[in-house]
Amino acid sequence: MKKRLFVWLFICAMALGMMSNVMAAKTINLVMWTQQGDPVLGEIQRLCKEYTKKYPNIRVEVLNYSTEDIRTNFQTAAFAGAGPDLLWTVSDHAGPLSVMKIINPIDKVMPRGYEKRFTDFSLEAVELDGKVWGVPISVGNHLMLLYNKNIIKEAPKDTDEMIKVAKEVTIDKNGDGTPDQYGLLWNFDEPFWLAPWLGGFGGWPLDGRKPTLDTPAMVKTLQFMHDLKFKHKIVPMECNYDGADALFRQGKGAMMINGDWALFGYLDRRTRKTVDLGVDRIPKVSETGKWPSPMTSGQYFMFPSYLTDKERIKAVRGLVYQFESKEVQTYFLKEHKRLPSLKSMLKDPALTNDPIMSGSMRQLEVGRPMPTVPEMRPTWDAMRPEMQAVMAGKITPAQAAKNMQKAAEQGIREMNK
Amino acid sequence: MSGLTPDAIMLGLGELVKLLPIAFALIVVIELFTWFLCAKIIRTKFTLAYVMLAPGIVGVMALIVFPFFYNMFLAFSNMSMTKFLTFSASLQIGLQNLIDVFTVPVLQRTNIGTLIIRTIIWTFVNVFFHVTLGMFLGILLNRPLKLKNVYKSLLILPWAVPEVITSLTWRNEFHYQYGFVNIILKSIGLEPIMWFQDPFWAMISCIFVNIWLGVPFMMVITLGGLQSIPQDYYDVAQIDGAGGWKQFVNITLPLLRPILTPATALGIIWTFNKFNVIYLMYQGGPIEGTHILITAMFSAIFENYRYGFGAMYSLVLFVMLLGISSIYYKIAGGFKEVSE
Repeated sequence: MKKRLFVWLFICAMALGMMSNVMAAKTINLVMWTQQGDPVLGEIQRLCKEYTKKYPNIRVEVLNYSTEDIRTNFQTAAFAGAGPDLLWTVSDHAGPLSVMKIINPIDKVMPRGYEKRFTDFSLEAVELDGKVWGVPISVGNHLMLLYNKNIIKEAPKDTDEMIKVAKEVTIDKNGDGTPDQYGLLWNFDEPFWLAPWLGGFGGWPLDGRKPTLDTPAMVKTLQFMHDLKFKHKIVPMECNYDGADALFRQGKGAMMINGDWALFGYLDRRTRKTVDLGVDRIPKVSETGKWPSPMTSGQYFMFPSYLTDKERIKAVRGLVYQFESKEVQTYFLKEHKRLPSLKSMLKDPALTNDPIMSGSMRQLEVGRPMPTVPEMRPTWDAMRPEMQAVMAGKITPAQAAKNMQKAAEQGIREMNK
Repeated sequence: MSGLTPDAIMLGLGELVKLLPIAFALIVVIELFTWFLCAKIIRTKFTLAYVMLAPGIVGVMALIVFPFFYNMFLAFSNMSMTKFLTFSASLQIGLQNLIDVFTVPVLQRTNIGTLIIRTIIWTFVNVFFHVTLGMFLGILLNRPLKLKNVYKSLLILPWAVPEVITSLTWRNEFHYQYGFVNIILKSIGLEPIMWFQDPFWAMISCIFVNIWLGVPFMMVITLGGLQSIPQDYYDVAQIDGAGGWKQFVNITLPLLRPILTPATALGIIWTFNKFNVIYLMYQGGPIEGTHILITAMFSAIFENYRYGFGAMYSLVLFVMLLGISSIYYKIAGGFKEVSE
């Protein structure tokens, strides 16, 4: 008797399981990968829940990875033909992922002409071979001059003034031979921080797909950076990103070159006690009269090439509409200091009346889109050790420029084999 | 902790609950198949043993054997960014990859020769200090001591703390201006060191941190070995007039050998392939000065998309490690006692 009861129970459980599967088949479970951490991640999850409220048959699972992990994990997943339905990532991933043919241009998912609503500079950062590979969410990711108004009242207009002001406020308070307050802070481990100055001296790392590193502009840029440390002594002897960030937060730096991603963090209650934040363009290079041009990019939605199911495409499209609405972009602008990608928001009072964001926008106007081509990666890798060697006083700027060029050409050759 | 919300936890648990019946069903299928094969077709008396082993064997095949052979296959392919989905494989491509490993710079300014020398120095110095300091502390702790358990807990602490936390904490302590290492150097009248700018000192700091991390393991292993040596041997040696050093050389060392040999071999393999410390502290910089073979491989594969090249490079590393470990076993006679 017991045995028979057990068999019936088992059959019922199986039948229920199968029924629930049939029911579940009507539900579309989307997976989105994002490199946004807290607090933006929480907002993304909230907005996805709102989307599910509107369309109860669509559920969205949001997974967070670091910027590098999202690229490598996506490559692995796409190689197996599976993975997320939607990527929320940075523009520089568009180059390699499109060359690998694992993402689709946006016109495969979004309606024709959808890109017209976005600013030109937001689209330029994801254009390659005449196609647009990402839907802009926010623009920027650019470096700018941040200054502490408790130490200097206004931003210097050119590099001569910057050096003069920075010398005045680089102070050794306790007389131990090492300054306790610096005039300028920036990360001199990463060539991303070299790019604005290179632009200011009239150079750029790539011309199309060819590296242009062994140039007079690069030599001058490296010499300028070297002089800030060894001749003018207005920057710390060692300064990576964390070091610069920590000193600025503690009110021990008058000026800092940092990106828009960091703005939100300098406006919290604790940091406000030591930092009265001002934002402006990186000062004009006195020698050339040109504005330094930081690389600009931003956050983008990208669509995997294996996303071919019509129902899923429709669900993904709806989700993109949700995030690209004016309300959501205004919210991210006000609450998270993200510059909008919509053309219609360029003159929005929420943007123009905010001194921090308008300063960021002013810098963006003289920025240049980060090259989307995959050749940018070996070019970065070629620049990094040489720039570090110059900043350590190990080689001359001219030698570094030569080495960079050679290494970049070699790296590109290897990458394209 | 970013993203670890109650929702995310519930979602993860939900996925796990969904996965469990599938895993269970898979194991049942494997067991039934093995039973059928062994009991009905081969008719072996070891059916039960095979049935018990089968899921484990399948797991090892899926997670270790298959990836290893797939990596071998990739080593003979031209998989790269431009040929990510359309790559091909042949013996000729494999040979070219092998030539490239030894002739083309793995990084921007560092070739494989420099990396091999640096990795050997890195491994030798680390393992030397792991073993000598670990053994020294193990011997100290094996003596009658007051508060022995407190010392033991404190000394094991670096091992218990996750490597990520240790590496990042030490990284801050090597800061030029605010790190306590330079503060100590200054207080004793020495010049502070630019740890983040000078490749030599950056490597020294990496070695220091890895020694800090590795000593407790060797200490625990040595202590376990020492506690298994009967006290009678030492008593007899003392009666015969052997001093402390003679006892150490003639009793402690030979009896520790069966334990220390595999532990040291493991230490060599782990240190040779140590990725976390170097990557978390300096990402291979400054000026590529702290890159060792394994971090350079990561850079070649995952940052520069050289998959075929990287797979061949990893095979070369595998062969090198196999060679080093075999030579070490031969010299140390690690299996001698076991086989005798």
